[in-house]
Amino acid sequence: MIPPNSLLRGTGRLTRRSHGGLQHDMSDDFIIDDADRAIVEQLRLNGRATNQQIANTLGLTAATVSARIRRMEEADKLRVVAVSDFSAHGYNVLMEVAIEVDGRPAADVVEELSQFPEVFAAHLVTGRYDIDLLVVLRSIDELPRLFLEKFARVAGIRSMVPAIAVDVIKYKFDVAPIEAREGE
Amino acid sequence: MSDVQLDELDRQLIEILARDARVSNRKIAIDLGVTEGTVRGRIKRLQQDGLISFTAITSFGLADTTRMAFIGVGVNVSDVRDVAEKIAELPSINAVMITMGRFNVLAICLFNTLDDLLELASNQILAMPGVHHVETSIAVRTTKYNARVVRITEADRARFDLNDDDA
Repeated sequence: MIPPNSLLRGTGRLTRRSHGGLQHDMSDDFIIDDADRAIVEQLRLNGRATNQQIANTLGLTAATVSARIRRMEEADKLRVVAVSDFSAHGYNVLMEVAIEVDGRPAADVVEELSQFPEVFAAHLVTGRYDIDLLVVLRSIDELPRLFLEKFARVAGIRSMVPAIAVDVIKYKFDVAPIEAREGE
Repeated sequence: MSDVQLDELDRQLIEILARDARVSNRKIAIDLGVTEGTVRGRIKRLQQDGLISFTAITSFGLADTTRMAFIGVGVNVSDVRDVAEKIAELPSINAVMITMGRFNVLAICLFNTLDDLLELASNQILAMPGVHHVETSIAVRTTKYNARVVRITEADRARFDLNDDDA
């Protein structure tokens, strides 16, 4: 059994502030109204709809739609983007891997693991395990090299327990932290 | 999941559109040195094949207290698809995969309070027929994350077909 106080082993404490992760500072006073919400809803249906098409649907002017979108984008509240399927990147294998850390801060281990391109997402977590990864591979043939030549060389990993995705029913994050665009 | 052959132009298009989907075909054509017709045709094909989809990502709903949680669900194997599809319909669930491993379904959600997570995991998911076990794990820090790579579903493709005539 793992003593309860080891759940946060390596992280020291539950951090309240952002560490470049999901946490988002909401201390600003950006206000959205029904028109903004309606525009976002139209963009979720079709992100490539023209301002005029959205305006016609909602009974607004194209200039209003354009200004509203720009205002939300400039405040880093909205991005209208293309999302691509795992298969577009050749990722045919997806697995979740839970990791127990020993003898080294979990924060250091997760940083090191995040450097591998096969690691698609990495989180420090509460619970039985310390780190949760989503791993993507082009083929299951890549697994031995990932495990033996990459993960095996990271110090502090006591155990890794996988759950291999046999079907992805849903995977989409419409609400996510938005980072400021580079060069703006 | 099938093998997909994308060429360099497809990859450049995906990269440009992942940054901003509202850039015009004409601007993309000029930047990449191809015709507007090529850009239009490529985008249409990528959408038809379910490789890309255009959407809006917002950060309105996120609070200081918003966290991601992983919900591992133990389900009788014969019920696994029904349960996974039912979980996927819950509004706060972002991801659901059927897995072989220490649980049969993995769900990922964003939640604002522990009560919300308890309601979701213990009251809604655990109550589904065939579910015998639920374990949650909360992300306290995220070091790597990509909201631009997703599973494009049949529903997303159907939406594209509806929009196709005015694209």
